[in-house]
Amino acid sequence: MHEMSLMGGVFEVIEQTLTQHEVKRVLIVKLKVGELTNAEPDALEMAFEAYSKDTKCEGAELIVERVPVYGRCRNCQYEFSVKTMLFLCPNCRNTDIEVIQGEELLLESLEVE
Amino acid sequence: MGSGRREIEVMANLLSSNDIQAEVNRAHFRKNNCLAINVIGSPGAGKTTLLEKSLPLLKDELHVGVIEGDIFTSKDADRISVHQIPVIQINTGGGCHLDSKMVSKVLPQYDWKALNLMIIENVGNLVCPADFDLGEAFKVIVLSIVEGDDKPSKYPVIFRNAKAVVLNKMDLEKLTDVNMETMKQDIRAINPGIAIFEVSCRNGSGLKEWTSWLTQEVKAYQRIN
Repeated sequence: MHEMSLMGGVFEVIEQTLTQHEVKRVLIVKLKVGELTNAEPDALEMAFEAYSKDTKCEGAELIVERVPVYGRCRNCQYEFSVKTMLFLCPNCRNTDIEVIQGEELLLESLEVE
Repeated sequence: MGSGRREIEVMANLLSSNDIQAEVNRAHFRKNNCLAINVIGSPGAGKTTLLEKSLPLLKDELHVGVIEGDIFTSKDADRISVHQIPVIQINTGGGCHLDSKMVSKVLPQYDWKALNLMIIENVGNLVCPADFDLGEAFKVIVLSIVEGDDKPSKYPVIFRNAKAVVLNKMDLEKLTDVNMETMKQDIRAINPGIAIFEVSCRNGSGLKEWTSWLTQEVKAYQRIN
C-alpha cells in the first residue's frame, strides 16, 4: 500500500498549486501512471478519498491514465511497445533497451472552479 | 479571475520530494566514498540471513555498515549487531517501504570515515520499495527459489531496476518443482545485464561468488569516485 505515500506526493503538489491560483474547489484530478511502476489504480483511488477529506479536493473525481511501456533499442534505435515485459528489439533482437515511456508517476492537471 | 471551470496544467512528478532527498543521500555516499546498496525481497526470502552469512566474508576487505528497515521490531538489527559492525534499525511503523527521508535521518549516526560499504535492507516486500529511490548506487534483489519461477515475470518493475539478484535457498531445489532455467530466462528477458547468483545461505554454496562480486563493485565505485 505505498499508494498512500504516492498520494501524499499528489497532495503536496496540489497544495502548492492551489496557493498560486484562486480556487473554490477541485473537480477533477488527472494522474499519469506508467505500467512500469507499481502504483495500483484502485489503491490510488482509496488513498485519494482518504487524503481529500476536508480539503478542496473532497468529492473530486480522480482519473488515472495508464501509460503503456515503450522502449528504444540502443543498437538500431527502433522504438516499440514492450509487451509482457520482454525487453527484446523486434527489429534486431538486441536486448539493450532504453525505456522511453511507462515509468511515469505524474500529476498531469487539475480541473477546478 | 478565479471563477468558472478551468484546467490547470501541473505535470509534476509525484516522487519529486523523495527523489530530491535521494539525490542528497547519493551525494553524501559519494562524498564519503561509500557504496550504498538497497537490498529488496519478499518477507522470508533470506535478506537478513544473506547479510549474516556475507558479513564474515566481506569484513576482511571492506568496512561495512548496515541500515535495517522493518515495519516493527529490532530483530534484524540485533542479528546483525552480533557481527560487530555499525547497524541502525529504522521502523516504518506500518509503512511498506523505506523512503529517502527515513534513510537521511539515520545517516549522521555513522562514522563515515570508517565505512566503504553501506547495506540498506529494505522492508520485506517485492512491490513498493521498487518505486522509492533511497540514494543507493544500485538495488540487489534477494529471491528464494521456493517462491516460484513465475515471480520475476510477476514483479518486473523491481527486476528491471536491479543490478543483481541473489537466488537463495538453492539447497531446496530438489524438493520443489521450480524450473531454474525458466526463472533465469525470465529474469534476463526483463533485465539482460543483471548479475545472477545462485546461493544457499544454509550450506554456504555460492556465497563466495556473491561477496567477491560485491567487493569488486565497491572497488570499482571507489576508482570512479
